[in-house]
Amino acid sequence: MLYNQKDLKVLKDEIEFIDTVIIPFAAMDMDMKAPVHAGNLELLQIVCVQLEKQFKGRLLITPPMMTVGEDTSLLGMYTTQLREYGFKNIIVLTHLQAEPGDMNKIRLNEIPLENMSDDMKMEMINDEVKTVMKSVISIWNQ
Amino acid sequence: MSQKVTRRQFLNYSLMGVGSFMAAGAILPMGRFALDPLFQGEAQGSMITTSVKAEEITEEPVKVDFSYEQQDAWYKSEVTDFVWVYRDGDQIIALSPICKHLGCTVTWAGDDANPNKFFCPCHNGLYEKNGKNIPGTPPRGPLDQYEVGESDGFITIGEMFENELV
Ligand code: FES
Repeated sequence: MLYNQKDLKVLKDEIEFIDTVIIPFAAMDMDMKAPVHAGNLELLQIVCVQLEKQFKGRLLITPPMMTVGEDTSLLGMYTTQLREYGFKNIIVLTHLQAEPGDMNKIRLNEIPLENMSDDMKMEMINDEVKTVMKSVISIWNQ
Repeated sequence: MSQKVTRRQFLNYSLMGVGSFMAAGAILPMGRFALDPLFQGEAQGSMITTSVKAEEITEEPVKVDFSYEQQDAWYKSEVTDFVWVYRDGDQIIALSPICKHLGCTVTWAGDDANPNKFFCPCHNGLYEKNGKNIPGTPPRGPLDQYEVGESDGFITIGEMFENELV
């Protein structure tokens, strides 16, 4: 499910089935590494689109949460809300190092997409999606 | 608008059938995540030719990708979806991979314990090969069907409709 009016309506009635939330978490620092952050954000979004297709019925994918200086305080606040709403599994999907407390984290690889041919891109992204899907399933099987 | 699907090889996920992929480079603007397309799927209508040969279709369901342009209020984008296609006698059947419970993607033989069924990994939904949902699992109806045809030996995919096999 996505954070839109239609899906949120479904979510309300089906929270028992849609028990997992994914928070895409990304940096938007305007520093030397800005281009890297931008690339990471792009990958993160593609992975999320694929996750949504595969697991729509069990996941809420929130809009991306952006941060600077790797600050995670907002994430902490959000997690509390999500728990109160009724989600059992909270998963942060990110390239960042930060170790958020009370939640699962799936770390994405940094892939320099811009220098790749389309086929290569596709292959790398597919691999990444596959890995993330496996991680999600293993969280479900915990 | 009907267009031949590019011969790009979509990689098969071994884990489960992920067919769909956006065209590379057509990265969704951030806002797209929160927006619900208001005017959807207009570009369809005629049959879409795929890159899979009809003669390659057997009784074992396989993924067949098809791409079309989707126009909504603000964007035009190329969307790639897929259907499960198999042969039944002299008929070719195409089923939607979208689970009728809450919309995850189902896989043929995705569960080791059920080698001849469609399996939904989200809440262990099961369907017979003809799309019939198996009672006792969460799905609320059979998988949708697609119009399917043949053009120059290639499979073509048309409109989706309610399952008429079960
Ligand atoms: S979404 Fe397929 S079984 Fe729930």
